[in-house]
Amino acid sequence: MDEGGVAGFYRTIRMIFQQIFDAINLGIVILDRDLKVQGWNRWMEVHSGIPVNDIINTDIFNSFPHLNNSKFIRSCKSVFTFGNFCFFSQKLHHYLFPFKTTSYSDFRFDYMQQSCAMGPLRNDNNEITNLFIYVQDMTEVAVYEHKLVEMNMRDGLTGIYNRRFLETKLKEEFNRHKRYGGVFSIIMFDIDFFKKVNDTYGHQCGDFILKSISSRVATLIRNVDFMARYGGEEFCCLLPETGIQAATAVAERFRSAIEHQENNFDGNLIKVTISLGVAEFKVEMESPHSLIKKTDEALYRAKREGRNRISVMEWEETVHP
Amino acid sequence: MMETHEEQIFTSEELEILQEIMNIAFGKSAADLADVIDTHVVLNVPFIDIMQVTDLPSYILNYVKDYRNISIVEQNFWGRFKGDALLVFSSGSGKELITMLQHGENTSLESDPIEILERETLMEVGNIIIGACVGKLAELLKDVVTYTPPMIILERFYNDAISENHFDPDKTAIVLKTDFSFTEGNVSGFLFLITSNDSIQWMKEALRVFIAQYE
Repeated sequence: MDEGGVAGFYRTIRMIFQQIFDAINLGIVILDRDLKVQGWNRWMEVHSGIPVNDIINTDIFNSFPHLNNSKFIRSCKSVFTFGNFCFFSQKLHHYLFPFKTTSYSDFRFDYMQQSCAMGPLRNDNNEITNLFIYVQDMTEVAVYEHKLVEMNMRDGLTGIYNRRFLETKLKEEFNRHKRYGGVFSIIMFDIDFFKKVNDTYGHQCGDFILKSISSRVATLIRNVDFMARYGGEEFCCLLPETGIQAATAVAERFRSAIEHQENNFDGNLIKVTISLGVAEFKVEMESPHSLIKKTDEALYRAKREGRNRISVMEWEETVHP
Repeated sequence: MMETHEEQIFTSEELEILQEIMNIAFGKSAADLADVIDTHVVLNVPFIDIMQVTDLPSYILNYVKDYRNISIVEQNFWGRFKGDALLVFSSGSGKELITMLQHGENTSLESDPIEILERETLMEVGNIIIGACVGKLAELLKDVVTYTPPMIILERFYNDAISENHFDPDKTAIVLKTDFSFTEGNVSGFLFLITSNDSIQWMKEALRVFIAQYE
């Protein structure tokens, strides 16, 4: 290749790279050693609203003062000193540049969720003269993740927690109390003659009753309590730092509230009652399962004894000689 | 047993040069680290061990067993010099580093649980230390490397943290090991750089070029 040919070749390459630089669906920023902006691609212009001519050769902190923190400066230093790559993950940082989100999801983040990285740019002598930052929009992924987490812990029909989530929480509470002592209780309840509701008014009505009862009971618990749909028409409530007497009083509130609640389904006023079992954690219990078993036994006693009532677990204190 | 591997792969002269390069590299890294993270990191004299990859887990466990719980930051580096960097922190290092690096400045969100801060801090410091050591080493061997994002295992019992299936069993591992500690705060650990036979031919040549400039 003659001289002109080589120059022409490099000119073409430069043009191609310039076009990729502006066409790529990724933010690219180039900073020099004084942290002045030396490159700002089209993506950054579009999302920041700052045209390249307004930001080029200016201090990055002029436009983004919040970046003037020790973590960001430390990262820049390590790029220039060691040729390091630094990563700013979406999970930990959420974003580096506060841009508006462009997704149309119902769950909204305040700002575009970004995964960013920073690394060195070298000259012909292998000296680091600049650093690059790339910015990737992760909002959609973060929204999906958020939805998946929600779906994994909530019951689809009633919107309260599901059994899996409750069992995880119960295990945590159980292990903590095994180690450090203290008290907590659970209430399990079940809708009386639920099958009759379904048979008389249909399954849609059954679903309506489930929703209506869970939302009524949800208003009677504290923020720290967890209520879950445990089975078909069975619910379970975990009450941290609550002894059996207080828990029984809470159960009575549930019972009375549901007994007096009128559920209006398609003009039919339907009243239902619930039966409840209450149990508290004992250090002697071997596993969360033993506690659930005790509560379940109490619930079935309440059913046997005539329904619309509360039964408390039977526990014989082991007497130490 | 180990010596036979060493002989097969590197001559004693090559090992000596590699040792010397590591001394220079880690010495320089320590000085530069002080500038970047405002605290002195003591990097002890590094060692080179060569072994079958399958022996790696027990080799590493043997060093870190006194810590009981450990956190590991892992990064791959890619150049002609390529491999895996494992930085093992002693238990509690993450919390110590949070206090050391924050300098009273509260950039974290109220809602961030301590575990997230711990992860972030260990990954950040791990990334810097690994980059410093690998970068200097590569620089002396006239290579430029890039890195994958750091991955972390946080505060796990040492025996559960390093698994057999972590490494490709058909390979030979060249392990460059150093221990480090921070002069401030109670932070210490080990750095293992594990590179495999893929890099050996290039490394031999790079070592020859390195020593040639002094001859």
